[in-house]
Amino acid sequence: MEYLLHIFVLIGIYVILSVSLNLIAGYTGILSIAHAAFYGVGAYVAALMALKLQTPFLSNVFCAIILTGIFGVIVGVPSLRIRDDYFVIATFAFQVITFSVLNNWVSITSGPMGLPAIPQPEIFGWKVSSHWEFLALVGVFAVLAFLVTRRIVESPFGRVLKAIREDEVFALAAGKNVAAYKVLVFVIGAAMAAVAGSLYATYITYIDPTSFTVMESIFIISIVIIGGAGNLWGSVLGAVVLVVLPEALRFIGLPNSVAANVRQIIYGALLVAFMMWRPQGFLGEYTFRKGDQG
Amino acid sequence: MIQQIIVNGAISGSVILLIAIGFGIIFRSARFFHFAHGAVLVVAPYAAFQTMKWVALPLVLVLPVAIMTATALGTGIEVFVYRPLRHRKAGSPILLIASLGIYIVIQNVVSLCFGDDTKSIRTRIVSPGYDLYGARITGIQFITICVAIIITVGILILMKQTKLGIAFRAVANDPKLARTAGIETDSVILWSFVLGSAFASVGGVLMAMDTDMTPTMGMRALMMGVVAVIIGDVNSFIGIALGSVFLGMALHLGVWKIGTQWQDSIAFLILLIFLLFRPQGFLGKKIKKATV
Repeated sequence: MEYLLHIFVLIGIYVILSVSLNLIAGYTGILSIAHAAFYGVGAYVAALMALKLQTPFLSNVFCAIILTGIFGVIVGVPSLRIRDDYFVIATFAFQVITFSVLNNWVSITSGPMGLPAIPQPEIFGWKVSSHWEFLALVGVFAVLAFLVTRRIVESPFGRVLKAIREDEVFALAAGKNVAAYKVLVFVIGAAMAAVAGSLYATYITYIDPTSFTVMESIFIISIVIIGGAGNLWGSVLGAVVLVVLPEALRFIGLPNSVAANVRQIIYGALLVAFMMWRPQGFLGEYTFRKGDQG
Repeated sequence: MIQQIIVNGAISGSVILLIAIGFGIIFRSARFFHFAHGAVLVVAPYAAFQTMKWVALPLVLVLPVAIMTATALGTGIEVFVYRPLRHRKAGSPILLIASLGIYIVIQNVVSLCFGDDTKSIRTRIVSPGYDLYGARITGIQFITICVAIIITVGILILMKQTKLGIAFRAVANDPKLARTAGIETDSVILWSFVLGSAFASVGGVLMAMDTDMTPTMGMRALMMGVVAVIIGDVNSFIGIALGSVFLGMALHLGVWKIGTQWQDSIAFLILLIFLLFRPQGFLGKKIKKATV
């Protein structure tokens, strides 16, 4: 039972991550592999505040959102000058630099040792400690993230995002401030990833930089792409499938050391297969077709 | 001290160059970021490792097998994945995502077969190396620099003098126009995968002979190659060579002044600065902003 609940909590966290990345990649059409960097910064800010300042959970989440949002501006602004595939490399660069800072700034982050004994959240006297309570907390945030994102993409704001995705020059010509929209989308996406990070840090109560690597970023973008870019239910479905499928491997008796590799092989192969036969993913409406192949 | 930094920078620069040139050839003809290049270069030294286990031959005789295995892998990826995708008019982001997937699969297959720990294909004891104007250099490092120079000169001659080189430049310049002129773009791209993968596997083997190997070393090596290609100039092999040497020197200067652990950050900061302020690289001419 505990195990099952644990899976559900993980799914909830990945729903927040993939829904927020879908806003950037699926709706605005900006492929980014820096999402684990936002996730990690959020987790570290929340964890460090809880450990060093003993401030309550909600204020930690709030600060994580603000700081990661500012980081989102830093990553988002280059998207105005750097395009398409080159921007993917730029987000890769941000991802590697973030990991390297988390790993090497030992006096603050304690580096590869990680941060142990992160206090569990307490919200207005409600101490969240059991798996059930965490599921409730993560569930609330996941639903909130889903609803906020749906509100965004169905609003006029969201229509401009799709216009930017389909034809940026046209959106500009229609008098839309494309630059502001792009940066704002990164801020919103980063802020939501920060929430996921804070939840993860207080749920596991231990974080180290290896949870926030390039591979994690690729995993999150895989959820978005396989679920379906530009469709929020797709991201939910993608999170369920990509979290549950590898867990099923445990039951066919693979040893743990092998299972980690087999899990990655599965989602790598899924990525290739979807690109070959169904580039829009399960439910998606967008297929990263920018960049004419002639 | 400064001599040692220059020598070390030249050695890293040479390894980066081998990977960057291979990546550059593929990038120019096929026009997307071939991430799986980083997996191809890892397969070569592991193939050598496995062959040496099967047959007790010296490394020199095993090398052709290793390089051929990795080259066949790179070429196979093109034939079975990228080409069908291109024929379906897939854009470069789709190819990029697919190549990420392939990278993940190959790297983990290597991890499964050989384990994540460091493996060695060095046959001799580590030698103290030779003295070069006050700097130390080992035999294999000297060979690395020579191989890098030979391959760079070779590719420059190939591009200028041969039919394949001319066809390649035509495809790199404008694939549609090249096809109208009767050039088979698919076969040119195929050849660029053959050459690119071969260079990458030479680079991978030399890396492993110098500092041993792990299954995950490919991604970092590839990214250094990508950084070199972007800060040099995508469209010029001399630019790529300059970018690689510059990056190698910058990394070792960084090690000396700041510390080894910040190497990756230095490389990617350089990349970001170039992408933002000089996306055409050292040598590239400023072009008009591309229309979207």
